[in-house]
Amino acid sequence: MQILRKSEWEGFKKIFGMSRKEVIKRVKESGLKGKSGSNFPTGLKWELMGKGIRYLICNADEGEPGTFKDRFIMEKNPSLLIEGIAIASYAMDVHKAFIYLRGEYSYIKPKLERVIKQSEKYLKKINLKININLGAGSYLCGEETAILESIEGKRPVARQKPPYPSDVGLYGEPTCINNVETLANVPLIFLGKWNNKLELYSLSGDLKNPGVYEIETGTNLKQIVSLGKPKTEPKVIYFGASGGCIPYKKFENLSVNCKTISERGAMLGPRSLIVCGKDRSIVEFSKIITEFFLHESCGYCTPCREGNFRIWELLKKIEEGNGKKSDLKLMEKLAHHIGETSYCALGSSSTTHLKCAIKYFKEEFLRLCR
Amino acid sequence: MQIKINGKEVKAKEGETILEVARRNKIYIPTLCYHPDLKPEGRCRVCLVEVNKKLVTSCNTKVENKMEIFTNTKRVLEARRLNLELLLSNVSYIRKDFEVAKLAKELGIRKIRFKKYVDISKGRAPIEKDNHKCILCGRCVQVCQNIQKINNIDFVNRGIFTEANTPFNIPLKYSPCTFCGQCALYCPENALRERAFNEKLVKYVENMDLVRDNKFFIVQTAPSIRASLGEIFGMEPGTLVTGKMVSALRKIGFDKVFDTDFGADLTIIEEANEFVERIKKNKNLPLITSCCPSWIKFAEDTYPFLLKNISTCKSPQQMFGAIAKTYYAKKIGVKPENLIVVSVMPCISKKFEAEKLEMKSAGCPDVDVVLTTRELGRIIEKKKIKFAKLKDDEFDLPFGLSSGGGAIFGVTGGVTESALRVAYELLTGEKLKNVDFRQVRGFEGIRDANIKIKNKNLRVAIVHGLGNIREMIESGRWKKYHFIEMMACPGGCIGGGGQPRPTTKEIRKKRMDALYRQDKNKEIRVASHNPAIKKIYKEFLGKPLGEKSKKLLHTKYKKRRPKYF
Repeated sequence: MQILRKSEWEGFKKIFGMSRKEVIKRVKESGLKGKSGSNFPTGLKWELMGKGIRYLICNADEGEPGTFKDRFIMEKNPSLLIEGIAIASYAMDVHKAFIYLRGEYSYIKPKLERVIKQSEKYLKKINLKININLGAGSYLCGEETAILESIEGKRPVARQKPPYPSDVGLYGEPTCINNVETLANVPLIFLGKWNNKLELYSLSGDLKNPGVYEIETGTNLKQIVSLGKPKTEPKVIYFGASGGCIPYKKFENLSVNCKTISERGAMLGPRSLIVCGKDRSIVEFSKIITEFFLHESCGYCTPCREGNFRIWELLKKIEEGNGKKSDLKLMEKLAHHIGETSYCALGSSSTTHLKCAIKYFKEEFLRLCR
Repeated sequence: MQIKINGKEVKAKEGETILEVARRNKIYIPTLCYHPDLKPEGRCRVCLVEVNKKLVTSCNTKVENKMEIFTNTKRVLEARRLNLELLLSNVSYIRKDFEVAKLAKELGIRKIRFKKYVDISKGRAPIEKDNHKCILCGRCVQVCQNIQKINNIDFVNRGIFTEANTPFNIPLKYSPCTFCGQCALYCPENALRERAFNEKLVKYVENMDLVRDNKFFIVQTAPSIRASLGEIFGMEPGTLVTGKMVSALRKIGFDKVFDTDFGADLTIIEEANEFVERIKKNKNLPLITSCCPSWIKFAEDTYPFLLKNISTCKSPQQMFGAIAKTYYAKKIGVKPENLIVVSVMPCISKKFEAEKLEMKSAGCPDVDVVLTTRELGRIIEKKKIKFAKLKDDEFDLPFGLSSGGGAIFGVTGGVTESALRVAYELLTGEKLKNVDFRQVRGFEGIRDANIKIKNKNLRVAIVHGLGNIREMIESGRWKKYHFIEMMACPGGCIGGGGQPRPTTKEIRKKRMDALYRQDKNKEIRVASHNPAIKKIYKEFLGKPLGEKSKKLLHTKYKKRRPKYF
């Protein structure tokens, strides 16, 4: 695997002699894009930083169900991540970086701290301090502006954009927020022989071999799923909780990248695939995911807070066999409504799964309706 | 820059929000959690508009050049209606006069398709909360955090279990809450509200004409409620309804209707004497006023080092109560426990003050029942009294007679002004020619002025709003003054927590003007010229700061410790 390559700070040594602008230019030319699902060009993000005391935050709050690629990197190759943070900090003139670690990953913290201590002589060269902040278990903290609130010690609620964090971020200063995988890829750019197309996929669900796989973008859906060795014939693929779903049979030969998936109503996001076997009920699965969002909604805005609860109620009614066709209609309307009017990205993506489910598996819902 | 709203070209400035531009051009967009005094947060999602085929909230989206905005497409209207429906699905019942009810009517919500799910929870502090009604608009949280800066309430829990609450669910009574009641004032749904002071007695007051039991009911009305009570009955903000209020109170069944302005006059004489004494001794300066119980609670909780500077005078309400239960009860031959003193206040904190243990001059509480302006309005409505058609009546003697100095107690700067009027005469021994101290009037959060009295330069400061008070104290500026007036609510009592909803800066300004108008029309402008005051000092109290007045009209403060940690 490319991401497991031991760099031993070779990439970091190479940036000396390069100016900050040159480093950013190199990253821009490499075509590295944000690996959290946003696909925003990383070099451009670094270039857009405003003036002031700058901060860098490594987003290690990997809360999306079915995603575990960041944990994989931090467990297997943490020094690559720290090196990436160091290079990014040099490029953006940052002297304070944060790793916002998910609360459930607290066992990784000592390991990261050890690596930071070991690499102190490199960090001292660019006068960089790295802090590790533990989250308290909120899914919303994966959203970049909610991280800022959380580090500041406030209740994690997404901020209104604009202003974007690159201008007004942590403590009102320009802040860059990058994913673990993105930053871990940075040193590899400078080492050479780096393949831009290789990305990490987290496969889980009804598989014999679930886990993290490194796959080139554009691979067939069938090929990806066959790596995990499905137990039974796959019926539907969920892209995490917020990414929606597509039926497997229909899109077997689809080459998987962001564009093709979003054209089909779903969202690839951080490339987590949850494979559901043929004996799974879509209605039950939708209810489980809705329960997840019910628990994780922050309660800030009306549509997400109240709407998801109402969807859960309606799903329960339908699952028990008491639903009517009008209930399904109301549910569909609510799903679109929440997607359109919610305050933050969590709210507006919280019903993607239901929209897709109704789009592709309407008969299954109708069969349960009276 | 030029933008288009519903196809119409409209001019806009940079940095304005869509809602501001639309309001200026008289294009209607419904709002719920938005309030002009507060920072727009976009929680309720009712003010949606369509921009670039996307739905955005107009309250916190800034305009951009050549933006095309649609405020009344079918998509927008449906989304707004569904959001309000979702909000209301959790509300127990809606009174017609709540903001939410008006909005529901506008958006055409007839039936709500969802069922309720939350239970009622009640606190025992002067403020209570009804989760059954709360729609989580977040106004109370913002007022507490951004305007009053107490930071006592925030949202707790997540998702559908979110509620506005104190940290670790501490009962309000034991929390640093000052009971200023601003959260209740800004609530669009009456979910946060004043607790009925003593439910038995309030029922008694409501049915006073039926059950009497040899009780003698008197009522005192605060200076600021006469400028705001009319709003409950559809009158313009700033209409003075003194006469109508008195006759309504008589109709409810009170034996005597008195004026807290009298208590205010008494307060100011005691306070001015205290001030002059401290100036002569040059000790414990600045003198900080003590009329506002929220401010007292705030100081006791947070700034105990200031307690020696605070005037020892009780508030006008308590002074009146003490005088009524001792002097007046004896005069009319009623036992103090049979004399029921009801006070109508613009304030929720006064309920807390009246419950204090030390406020017992004659063995029973000085003030038995405290009603807020809103509660009085509700009683008048319940009794089916047609308020607008009432004839004007006058206060009873002896405690109905008051000066203009007492009348302006309800507005920020008023206490300072009337204290200066009395202090001038005490310091110089001359009669004051121009009683208006215009330097101390105004609406800024922190104001100061230099007043020259007999070649002595007095530096006075006026602070209103707990947020401003905090700034004043923590910056250390308070040390350089001789006299500071502190009021917990923005605008003073006219913006108090018990006043009619809604409140905005314009409404508060109108109420303020009304009180200054009243002061101007009074014959007696200086408190010490009030014949009723002169009489009571002659017959009963002796002299200001004398033995009897120290016992009845002054109190002590103590440092409070949070009980819960």
